[in-house]
Amino acid sequence: MSQSNTQSSNAPVTPKTSSIVVPGRWQRFRESYLVYSFKRDWMAQACLLVFIAMVLGAFLAPWIAPADPYDLASIDIMNSELPPAWMAGGDPAFLLGTDAQGRDLLSTILYGTRVSLLIGFGAVILQALLGVTFGLLAGYLGGRIDAFLMRMADIQLSFSTLMVAIVVGAIIKATFGGAAFSDYALILLILIIGLAEWPQYARTVRASVLAEKNKEYVDAARVMGFRSRRIMFRHILPNTLSPIFVISTVQIANAIISEAALSFLGLGMPETQPSLGSLIKSGFDYLQSGSWWITLIPGGVLIVLVLVINLLGDWLRDVMNPRLYKG
Amino acid sequence: MALLEVNNLDVRFAMRGGEVRALRDVSFTLERGERLGIVGESGAGKSVAAFTILNLIAKPGYIAGGEIKFDGEVLNTLKPKAMQSIRGNRISMIFQDPMMTLNPVLTIGEQMIECLKAHRRISRKDARAIALHKLNQVFIPSPEKRLDQYPHELSGGMRQRIIIAIALLLDPDIIVADEPTTALDVTIQAEIMELLLLLCEKHNVGLILITHDLGVVSQVTQRTLVMYAGRVIEQGPTREIINDAQHPYTQGLINALPQMATPGSRLNQIRGSMPTLTKIPAGCAFNPRCDFAANICLEKVPAFAHSGNCKVACHMVDAMVAGERWTPIITDANGNGATPTDNHRTEVNT
Repeated sequence: MSQSNTQSSNAPVTPKTSSIVVPGRWQRFRESYLVYSFKRDWMAQACLLVFIAMVLGAFLAPWIAPADPYDLASIDIMNSELPPAWMAGGDPAFLLGTDAQGRDLLSTILYGTRVSLLIGFGAVILQALLGVTFGLLAGYLGGRIDAFLMRMADIQLSFSTLMVAIVVGAIIKATFGGAAFSDYALILLILIIGLAEWPQYARTVRASVLAEKNKEYVDAARVMGFRSRRIMFRHILPNTLSPIFVISTVQIANAIISEAALSFLGLGMPETQPSLGSLIKSGFDYLQSGSWWITLIPGGVLIVLVLVINLLGDWLRDVMNPRLYKG
Repeated sequence: MALLEVNNLDVRFAMRGGEVRALRDVSFTLERGERLGIVGESGAGKSVAAFTILNLIAKPGYIAGGEIKFDGEVLNTLKPKAMQSIRGNRISMIFQDPMMTLNPVLTIGEQMIECLKAHRRISRKDARAIALHKLNQVFIPSPEKRLDQYPHELSGGMRQRIIIAIALLLDPDIIVADEPTTALDVTIQAEIMELLLLLCEKHNVGLILITHDLGVVSQVTQRTLVMYAGRVIEQGPTREIINDAQHPYTQGLINALPQMATPGSRLNQIRGSMPTLTKIPAGCAFNPRCDFAANICLEKVPAFAHSGNCKVACHMVDAMVAGERWTPIITDANGNGATPTDNHRTEVNT
């Protein structure tokens, strides 16, 4: 479904006979402009390859990681701060070295990437749900509802994500204790980042809805006797999907960075379930003493992850550019 | 009782600079299966009239007075839910631009099935069968295939056929067609109008055809309504209006047809242009452009006077009837009337 609005007119020219077989969804997808442009863009291909490799590595971590960083029994403090295997003093059992607690850095990064990706995607799904709904309502209904929702968005944007996280984190820690916070850190971070960033979606969607709702097909839908809700979600929403996809990529990258920043400040994932951000933080204290790998390797992974997501988003934005989009 | 009865309709738009009256005192009726043409220049209020019938006037606009009666129900006081069950179901509408009317991201089939399911309790399979049947009725080649295609894969003429099929989907009593052929090229225009006429006759569907093409009106409709600056200024049987227009404005419109000009000379035109709705002159709105205007035209809004089968809102009708008359110029649906080729008129009125 997500590809249907990028179907371009390069579908096969078919002779006018009634015996023509309609191309199936898969065939339509393969012949779409999206795939066409992907095949000709080595940058996009490389980015997708790296991204898929990272996602696979992250989610297959329990099976491919050499060690389980969550298993305290397998960690030996004597192995702490070992340099990567290719350096003097490195242990071939720990390819990328170990951190200050003696955890295998490669395994920890794999698990940490999983946490970062989960938070990134989870937060963006929450943002999108809230933002798209509010944006649609504001744009389509207009008037007071529009004014109210957009002022809410302005207020929300004036609080930075960090501030929301600090306040919510403090309240949760004060009411339920630090242990409870650690147990639910993942869900809390998704909620915090999701709630803090929904206005981005709401604004984008509202702008597209304002453009779409004056088009004749919306009048036509009203003339056909459809209810407002149906017109909003079934008729207008699919027409605003391109910008939603494009900002989603940016937002996923942003959410991952936000999570890393929060974890770095100690407001995010606890050290026992490290994300990329908390890994960077855990190594930060040892940076001066020469153990650069604990911080810099997860940092590099974070940079590459965010970079490929952003590059994919750029490519997607070019492909789905509404001015090039024939409809 | 007529199927659709519009009485003294008054539509206004509350704009920043004050109220704009888009429709004033518009009244007309439509019998079951009757075809009515509404003609006039751009801005005369034709489309507003169409949208008002479906109670779809967008926000700054509102119905300030009058009523729209459809099959015994007063539409303008109906609850939104009840109105939804009439829209698309019993009164449907065809828009000007077929490129814009279909949702670009849904297939033809999805749009048709959705429309059926919104009004009837019906399974997807049955809905698809009905959609296919309707596509067959509008003579679409390989309809089965069209159901799974997106609007951008079809040509303009084909899209307008599909829009007609959607308009007919729920077997409505009335179709409101707002300039259905303006966006199409001339050969397709004729095909589409013929198709619309055929289907309306076959299914006994009433048609309100809004256009500024007098040729189309004369071919398709039985009665015609001429609008100017938000008012109806002349109405009656199409044949009589085309062949024997009473109102100077209608005469001017007919005279402005290319066929009416002497070959090689400039085309005839009505001088000036339609006043904007904020600056409508006192008295008869047409008076600054009218060659017959007298003092009374500057002061009093003319009331309808019966003239044969027609109703005309003009102070000077009687005076004009006594003077020069028009000769029939356009063939009507039955082929009556003279051909315009050898009709040399002196340009008195232009």
